[in-house]
Amino acid sequence: MTEHVRTEVLVIGGGGAGFRAAIAARHSGARVLLLSKGPLGRCGATPMAGADFTLDGRSMHELGRDGDLNDSREKVFNDIVTQGYYLNNQKLAEHYVHTAPLLLRDLLDWGLKIMLSDQRAVITSGLHIMDVLLRKARSVGVEMREDIMALDLITNGGAIAGVLALDVRSGEFIRIAASAVVITTGGWHKAYWPNTGMRDLSGDGIAMAHRAGALIGNMEFVTFACNIMLDPPMWRGSLAPYVLSLVCGGSLTNNCGEEILAPYDPVVVKTGTTTEWNKSFVSHATAREVRLGKGFRNGGVHYSRGDVSWEVIKLVASITFPGWKYKAMDLTEWGRMLEANEPVEVGPAVEYFDGGIVVNERFETAIPGLFAAGECCLGPFGANRIFSAITEILVQGRDAGEHAAHYALTEGGAQPPIAGFEALEKKALLPLARNNEVRPAFLRRELQLRAQRHLGPIRNKNELEEFIIYLRGMKQNHLPHLGTASSGRVYNKEWIDCLELGDLVHLLEASARCALARTESRGVHFREDFPVCDNDRWLVESIVEYAEGDPKVCTRPVTATTMSPPGGKMPYLDMMKKMMQSHSDTGGMH
Amino acid sequence: MSKHSVQVKVFRYDPARDADPYYLEYAIPFEPRMSAMNALDFIYHNIDSTLSYYDHAGCSLGICGRCVGRVNGKTVLLCQTAITGDTVIEPVSTGRTLKDLVMRKGRRDDAEPTKDTD
Ligand SMILES: Cc1cc2nc3c(=O)[nH]c(=O)nc-3n(C[C@H](O)[C@H](O)[C@H](O)COP(=O)(O)OP(=O)(O)OC[C@H]3O[C@@H](n4cnc5c(N)ncnc54)[C@H](O)[C@@H]3O)c2cc1C
Ligand code: FES
Repeated sequence: MTEHVRTEVLVIGGGGAGFRAAIAARHSGARVLLLSKGPLGRCGATPMAGADFTLDGRSMHELGRDGDLNDSREKVFNDIVTQGYYLNNQKLAEHYVHTAPLLLRDLLDWGLKIMLSDQRAVITSGLHIMDVLLRKARSVGVEMREDIMALDLITNGGAIAGVLALDVRSGEFIRIAASAVVITTGGWHKAYWPNTGMRDLSGDGIAMAHRAGALIGNMEFVTFACNIMLDPPMWRGSLAPYVLSLVCGGSLTNNCGEEILAPYDPVVVKTGTTTEWNKSFVSHATAREVRLGKGFRNGGVHYSRGDVSWEVIKLVASITFPGWKYKAMDLTEWGRMLEANEPVEVGPAVEYFDGGIVVNERFETAIPGLFAAGECCLGPFGANRIFSAITEILVQGRDAGEHAAHYALTEGGAQPPIAGFEALEKKALLPLARNNEVRPAFLRRELQLRAQRHLGPIRNKNELEEFIIYLRGMKQNHLPHLGTASSGRVYNKEWIDCLELGDLVHLLEASARCALARTESRGVHFREDFPVCDNDRWLVESIVEYAEGDPKVCTRPVTATTMSPPGGKMPYLDMMKKMMQSHSDTGGMH
Repeated sequence: MSKHSVQVKVFRYDPARDADPYYLEYAIPFEPRMSAMNALDFIYHNIDSTLSYYDHAGCSLGICGRCVGRVNGKTVLLCQTAITGDTVIEPVSTGRTLKDLVMRKGRRDDAEPTKDTD
């Protein structure tokens, strides 16, 4: 039976951004419903995070922690913009820097416990942050529902009016009338294999916003975390070697036994292995080896402790993986391998999406009443992120929630037309009647492997074009015939896969087209055939319009406030080194 | 790597259609240190896509705690339990099946908003 629901602010997504938005909207006096595709507080990327929360050292000091008094918000701003190769939206970066300390204060008031801190960051855990937010959301009366997947937005007269959602367990539709909607659905990790785990992140929110008329952008900037475990199957996707290598170092070798980082500038190697620059630098270096045929079976290289002593490894592991446990993962065997200096296979796996839904400083999209926050947005980090995403999603969530509540209580209230719901329901039901003509899981794995190969850390024209042709073929020949083997609606996971796959194909095509258009190399986007960072021509954002179902790429100038972008061209790694060296002289890892 | 196969026996039940629960056996290629979840993924991808287990969300890495089930009679996280030979996979409580390995919601994880005082 289809359910009918009405709310003032609807939040789609139950990660950090979603919960923070819901709490803020409630504080602003609106009735709030939050939909979480997976279990409450236990889905999306937020619970997976380490997690660091970054802010300037002076604010750290004011919060009573050990912070560098010579640090300032301006310095953090400088660092975010140079780490992002000046492609940042500086208004969003200013918002980040200024809101972070306030946000942290709130979290501490709500019971957040800090595990460790350095001069610019506190370390907690993603799980703990989610618990704090969940408790707070309950206490202020946010209504929350889990295992509910939003399918599409409904507008009326150009303004947001409602959402069609699916109860994944019962298979029944939910028609929701909402005065304002905040999308916080995170990234689209599920477009790649291997990935870092989460099974719910298929970019639904970005795709539905695009379909409804919002712009998306900078889709070519996909961050791969490096040194992700690729084997054995049970550990595949784990960040454990990423964490250990960042703290202790170690050795990365290819199938010829060569140290893969040996050919690079020592300055780049140092910053690129001991700070979170490692994501872009080491992922780039690893992808290069693999493309040269020097990788191993699972598309990675070997990580071992090398000449780092077992005592050091043991000490660090006792803090990062107490008892060789990483959450519920038992890494005892890896401990043995490290002691014996045996390698594990590691490689780049998709971790964070720098682009997404285009928003302004009020987190409004192009559609009145539709807001977006968190990783699903084109955020403050430009071409490369070093500062914390956890901070980003929380500062954005708060403001998006406030603005959405204000809109809902003053302007919103367009009625969703019944015919709109009916048409969407009809479309969503199609795969159930098609009896498995084309099986979604099969296609998805093929898609994921191709994405990893052609839209990984290293790209070129031929491969991108080939990938786009493949995606077009899939869209025309396969997606219209996707079907399920069972026509039952109760927890039919194959039906969910059918509903997600179209979004994955759409976002990959948008990303591949942006990557093809950007004939330069910058941040996490490297073009083998254009290995130069071109500041004269490419200090522009890629903006993707929705042209009758297809992504169409154009550009717009970057939003700069106080830091003027540089000119000139420079080889990719030289530019990386220059950006690394533009860092402020302050303490802290970021 | 030598690939021998193992038999995985899985609890199946769709209360809307089946009078009684039953078990189906699948032969899958074995890889060292593969989890029960990896085995289910293989079955779903390659053999029988009517199989339901909690997979539309979840972390595969022992973090979210949502993949509880029974492997050879023991209650475990499916994604963090290695299979070593022939294996039986069942839900924690066969009386609470929503479909196959997915259970109906118990009281504990009901998502009703509860108020507390702070
Ligand atoms: C393994 C890992 C480790 C990381 N570690 C760190 C770290 O240490 N520090 C750091 O700063 N950053 C880290 N990051 C990045 C950071 O965790 C994410 O950028 C951030 O948590 C994203 O938050 P979010 O709220 O925007 O999205 P998410 O937390 O991903 O939440 C998205 C939510 O939307 C829901 N959703 C999706 N589609 C739908 C739909 N159709 N209907 C309803 N709901 C939907 C999902 O179920 C989920 O609840 C890490 C990322 C990964 C993957
Ligand atoms: S799927 Fe998250 S703990 Fe197993």
